[in-house]
Amino acid sequence: MELRIQGVSKTYANGVQALKRVSLTIPPGMYGLLGPNGAGKSTLMRMLATLQDPDEGSITLGDIDVVAQKDDVRRTLGYLPQEFGVYPKVTAESLLNHFAVLEGVTGGRARREVVEALLRKTNLWDVRKQKLGGFSGGMKQRFGVAVALLGDPRLMIVDEPTAGLDPAERVRFLNLLSELGESSVVLLSTHIVEDVSELCTRMAIIDKGQILLEAEPTAAVEGLGGRIWRRVIDRAELPALEREHPVISTKLLAGQTLVHVYAEASPGHAFEPTRPDLEDVYFATMAGHIGRRAGKTAPAESAP
Amino acid sequence: MKLGEIFRFEFGYQARRVTTWAVFIALVVVVVLFSRDNSIAEALLDDFFLNSPFAVAKNMVLGSLIWLLIGASTAGDAAARDVATGMHPLSWTTPVTRTAYLGGRFLGALAANLMILLAIPLGVLLAIYAPGIGAELVGPFRLAAYVNPFFIFVLPTAFAATAIQFTIATVSGRPMAGYLGSLFLFFMSWIVAGIVYSVMGRPELGRMLDAVGAINVVQEMSTGWTPAEKRVRLIAAEGALLWNRLLWIGVGLGALGLTGLRFRFAHRAEGRRWLRFKGGSGSPQGLPTADAGITSGSGSTPVPQPTRAMGARLTVRQVLALAASSYRSLALSWGGLGSFVLIPLLTLIVVSSQIQLNGIPLIASTARVVDVLVAPLADELTPWILIPLLLIYFAGELVWRERDTGLDEITDAMPLATGVSVLGNFLGLGMLLATWIALLMVGGVAIQLLRGVRELQIVLYLGALFGLQFMEYLLLVPLVLGIHAVVNHKYIGHMVALMAYVFIVIGASLLGIDHRLLVWGSGPAWSYTDMMGFGPTLGPWAWFRAYWGAWAGLALIVASLLYARGGDTRISERMAQARQRLAGPMARAALLAVGLTAGLGGFVYYNTNVLNAYATADQQADWHEAYERRFGRFESLAQPRVAATELRVELWPDRRAADITGRYQLVNSSLEPIDTILVAPAPGVEAVTLELDRAAMRLRAGGLEDEADILDDSGPRVYVLESSLAPGDSAWLAFEIRVAPRGFSESGVDLSIVGNGTFVSTVAWLPRIGFQADRLITSPSERRARELPPRAVIPVLEDSTANEAWAGRIMLDAVVGTYADQIVVAPGTLQQTWTEGERRYFHYRTDAPIGFDQSIFSADYAVREDRWKEVAIRIFHHPGHTAALDRMIASVHASLAEYSERYGSYPWSQITLVERPGHGVGMSANASMVNFGEGFPQWDPGDSALRLDMPFAVVAHELGHQWWGAQLPYAFVEGAPVLSEGLAWYSALQVVEATYGTDQMRALLRFMRRPYPIRPIRLGRPLLRGLDPWMAYRKGPYALHALREYMGADRVDRALRTLLDKHRSGAPPLATTLDLYRELKAVTPDSIQPLLHDLFEVNVIWEFAVDRATATARDDGAWDVAMDIRARKVVVDTAGVETDLDLDAWIEVGVFGRPEAGRDRLSQPLHLARHRIRSGDHTLTITVQERPVLAGIDPHHVLDWEEREDDDNIERVVVRTRPAEGGAAGG
Repeated sequence: MELRIQGVSKTYANGVQALKRVSLTIPPGMYGLLGPNGAGKSTLMRMLATLQDPDEGSITLGDIDVVAQKDDVRRTLGYLPQEFGVYPKVTAESLLNHFAVLEGVTGGRARREVVEALLRKTNLWDVRKQKLGGFSGGMKQRFGVAVALLGDPRLMIVDEPTAGLDPAERVRFLNLLSELGESSVVLLSTHIVEDVSELCTRMAIIDKGQILLEAEPTAAVEGLGGRIWRRVIDRAELPALEREHPVISTKLLAGQTLVHVYAEASPGHAFEPTRPDLEDVYFATMAGHIGRRAGKTAPAESAP
Repeated sequence: MKLGEIFRFEFGYQARRVTTWAVFIALVVVVVLFSRDNSIAEALLDDFFLNSPFAVAKNMVLGSLIWLLIGASTAGDAAARDVATGMHPLSWTTPVTRTAYLGGRFLGALAANLMILLAIPLGVLLAIYAPGIGAELVGPFRLAAYVNPFFIFVLPTAFAATAIQFTIATVSGRPMAGYLGSLFLFFMSWIVAGIVYSVMGRPELGRMLDAVGAINVVQEMSTGWTPAEKRVRLIAAEGALLWNRLLWIGVGLGALGLTGLRFRFAHRAEGRRWLRFKGGSGSPQGLPTADAGITSGSGSTPVPQPTRAMGARLTVRQVLALAASSYRSLALSWGGLGSFVLIPLLTLIVVSSQIQLNGIPLIASTARVVDVLVAPLADELTPWILIPLLLIYFAGELVWRERDTGLDEITDAMPLATGVSVLGNFLGLGMLLATWIALLMVGGVAIQLLRGVRELQIVLYLGALFGLQFMEYLLLVPLVLGIHAVVNHKYIGHMVALMAYVFIVIGASLLGIDHRLLVWGSGPAWSYTDMMGFGPTLGPWAWFRAYWGAWAGLALIVASLLYARGGDTRISERMAQARQRLAGPMARAALLAVGLTAGLGGFVYYNTNVLNAYATADQQADWHEAYERRFGRFESLAQPRVAATELRVELWPDRRAADITGRYQLVNSSLEPIDTILVAPAPGVEAVTLELDRAAMRLRAGGLEDEADILDDSGPRVYVLESSLAPGDSAWLAFEIRVAPRGFSESGVDLSIVGNGTFVSTVAWLPRIGFQADRLITSPSERRARELPPRAVIPVLEDSTANEAWAGRIMLDAVVGTYADQIVVAPGTLQQTWTEGERRYFHYRTDAPIGFDQSIFSADYAVREDRWKEVAIRIFHHPGHTAALDRMIASVHASLAEYSERYGSYPWSQITLVERPGHGVGMSANASMVNFGEGFPQWDPGDSALRLDMPFAVVAHELGHQWWGAQLPYAFVEGAPVLSEGLAWYSALQVVEATYGTDQMRALLRFMRRPYPIRPIRLGRPLLRGLDPWMAYRKGPYALHALREYMGADRVDRALRTLLDKHRSGAPPLATTLDLYRELKAVTPDSIQPLLHDLFEVNVIWEFAVDRATATARDDGAWDVAMDIRARKVVVDTAGVETDLDLDAWIEVGVFGRPEAGRDRLSQPLHLARHRIRSGDHTLTITVQERPVLAGIDPHHVLDWEEREDDDNIERVVVRTRPAEGGAAGG
């Protein structure tokens, strides 16, 4: 079963076009949706989660029409929104139990087992009697995963889950997700490249409502081989360098600036070749060197 | 200045909110409606302009009351927006002081509220100056008429309300909590203050409790101010009103102070509570983490995947789970918990204040308690208005619960049909409502047990409260859910829901929408009494509610379809989603609901408008206008009088039907021959035949062939006799009438004939003879609008021929058949009773003439019989209602004895007292018959000597009517109520005194002087022309009592006896107050004549007060009491102009000693004599032999009928003793 998005567009009432004819095909497994803030990720995620309808285009999950058969989708959906709150005065266990009933786990004993398993899995078992109002960000996020996992989802939508988690929480969280990817479609939207590189077998890069690249992370990284060059410079040199070379990213390194440049051949002796990683794929795509933006605009003008 | 910036930002923010302007517009609309509706009616009847200061003030107050309900989100938002949006970590860490932060926010909210409240004067001005108002209703513009009430009423209300809303929202951190503050103030002002003011008889306290500063104040003005005052007098902040405003400004300041003290720029989280909880369980660090598990947790625990429920079974489980969770969240919120305290408390207060009347306890029977506990949804004056208002509040909280907490994205994506969440919310609110109803019931039962009632009718409680009242309220919930789904904005949705309720309660009638098929949830009310049971009231109630139930279903479906799930809130998107959701079961449900609505609506309409006549107020007026225009020319035509009535009535209680055959003997008692007779069949009954016993031709359409016949059969029939009826001659009119219910009407069912407790008034069904003046339009404004000639509401005093036809006296011969297990009570002596098959017949015949309007009763009665001389006394009562019977019998004995001694013998051979269904405690009298509501025999005054025996006094009053009314036919002209009610109460005072002594009579007078239930009216007509209840029931007896005090009871009795002797025959001219006055004049000595004049011919008010009384011990052991007195005599004319008169009269002055235990405080007079008193301030010195306690001028209120709580006629005596004697005097 795969998730197929075809020609989906969405314009908001204030005129912002959040999605422009987006088409994607997402097979089972972990799929990363990478893009900067405001790229349209959350709009797409909410559409897949049946909470918004596209202005045009179609979305199907297997043979289910996501737009028209919302109830069928919801029955098989796990959704972890980017932001959510919880009833502060209710305990984790009782709210999860409540949601389990709503998800159709109505048998008393079975429900207890599911709730216990999920609380243990998300490592919330010890705090199950605590009011949710006292949960930390990570605990709350894990509670959200527990809720999302309730219905044995075949489609899991996870919107920016790791933003705001401490490193340990993030590791734990990604572990949880990867387990799921074994059997279901798991769509992970993020602006953190490491999330995708560590987890996903396939990915897409989205910006300004358009898909710029659809690829397997490893293949995409390999595809960049030999075209990424690095150089460490002083901050003051950066403007001049940017004028002369197609800089795709800059990074601070021990007080100096590390610059990555995209070039088919060596841009000069001061540069040294470097092994590309997914971050280079992302920046090269955003800068228009690869993917669908390539060739359409001159790299230097790509960021108005 | 930071406060200034915060204020500016806050005000700007509020001014840009949609809610602000939505409230503003709603307020303008409501105030326009108030101003136009109320004022037009009153402006013309009471003759003050639409823009008179009084009318403007009243509308401003009503407007601020509505603002209180709908406008709480401004302060709530200003106070709690930061917390609700999660902004507070940013705004609270700026370098701003608490004072600047809170002060700026509060002042911003207050300014925004004042801006909103400008809608009120704007609405008033629009109502007055926008087109559609006649120029004759508008007086000259006076700025102060607007400015004064705005500053006196609206501004302090706004301050206090904003402060309280702000405080509650700050403390709870929830903007919506502002509404709870509003609800509290609204309830305090509108309900609690009213109860305390009138029912509990504590007006001073009630006045202060009213935060809007007006309901009571304005109520007092509307009855206390004269028309002239209403026209011109400006509201001023003085006296009690000033204190009230200061008090509430103080409450506002107090609330703000509390907020300032309690508020901290500190992380507010449930964590605090949690930390405490954690601390208790022994985890000192209390940090909410579970990070320990992060490395050790395997993360690969298999999650079992049980089979999941599907289909209907799942839907039911989901609905129940959501209902339970909704209920839990509401019930455990502090608003919910508060309601669980408030409602039982309110129940106890309301029930105990209603299970008594005028301070005398009533038996707390279940039927009565239930009656107190229920109220129609649309009743705006009931304390239980709290329940719908709370329901609306909690519905808003519930609908927005997920969105407020941010859980909505998760729940919206759950596999739930939208209808399931809506239904879950509905049921959750239903459970909350059921809890409240249960608390009502617990409160009611508790009161019954406290009162020692042993027979609890739990089934009645359950049926009436959970079966009927629960449904009444529940029907409101779907409407509110639907509104929130459609509006999809929390505060505006809440405001619209409140406005919808305001529409149900008052708006519909303001807009002229009368039919109950058009006002959500309304319909005829049900009632339950011991005698009748539910009677036939349940059917119409149920049909109307079933119809509204179908609408409620539709509303739930609309809510399900339009509920904004997910991010799309554009209406086009929601419509598209609605179309998508309208499939399968939802479509079938919608179809069913539409079908049911149409079907039930059609059925109800068929009953109310096809089987029964329905007329709007306008259509009814059309009918009356047509009647007047067509038949007005017969008004002065001489008509024969009914002299005898023969009836044969077959009652069918279960079918609520009656067949009546009978005939009238019509006598020409005029001096001319009569050739035209008008016979008016009663409206709403079928007159099968109407036949004169002499040749006559019936004129079609009243003789005017070409007029469109709006009157059809309900108009009078005009017969022209072939040979006219000579003076003194008589004719017979035979009739056959069929009364049968046809379904139910818009107002429910006619309760004249019910299974048990039939109470038929014969004028309602029998044909009437002649032109019927009571079918004319009386309202002057309506007459003006329809261009009918002006007509006095009541004929002037001198017109003694008016309404003569009404006062005719008849002999009645009636045979009435009913079911074998019932007893018929009718006027006259029972001649015979017999049984034919399943039916039992009663033959009654009068032995002396009685009035035309008579009543016939049939029920399963128990009878208490007694005898006074030759007069048989019978009380027909419901078998269980026996508590007051002995008192009633005693009063009948005493009254018959006193009255026949004083005024002449009782002419009938029996006196019958008969109970009729209904909770009322009232009694009313016909000749030889007195009927009373089921409440009357429930009066339980106990045996305390100090407590007024009210049932005894009321029976004496009704027996008084056996002379004043039944034997003294009077003309319906000015002064008529004074003649009948005034004389009846004066007579009752004599019986009370003769039986119980002077203390009890004075207690009765003291009770009469309380401002409730009959408020005093200072302005005035002279008593001779008195019409209002205060003149009739209060001033009339006061005036006669004063005469009695000054010239003795014998002289008054002699005048009354002569009056009666002259009019007993019933022959015209009928008696008026002028006749009474003439007889009184004849017996009054010259010295008292001026007083007589002052009492009857002009509206004189005497005012006496003692400012200070001091006593000094004399050497001879006596005491000199010096009293500083004030005396005043004014005459108040009908325009309310007061003119001081010179007082020079003999007024009673008294000094009183310590009373014996358990006796009245004035029962130990040391000195009591009339002194000559002149106007002005004086000091009187009186010497008494014993130590004085109280001193007073007119201490028994013979002339000064003031109705103050603190009786200023009497003052405590301050005793000055010489130091040496201090010890001795103290002992």
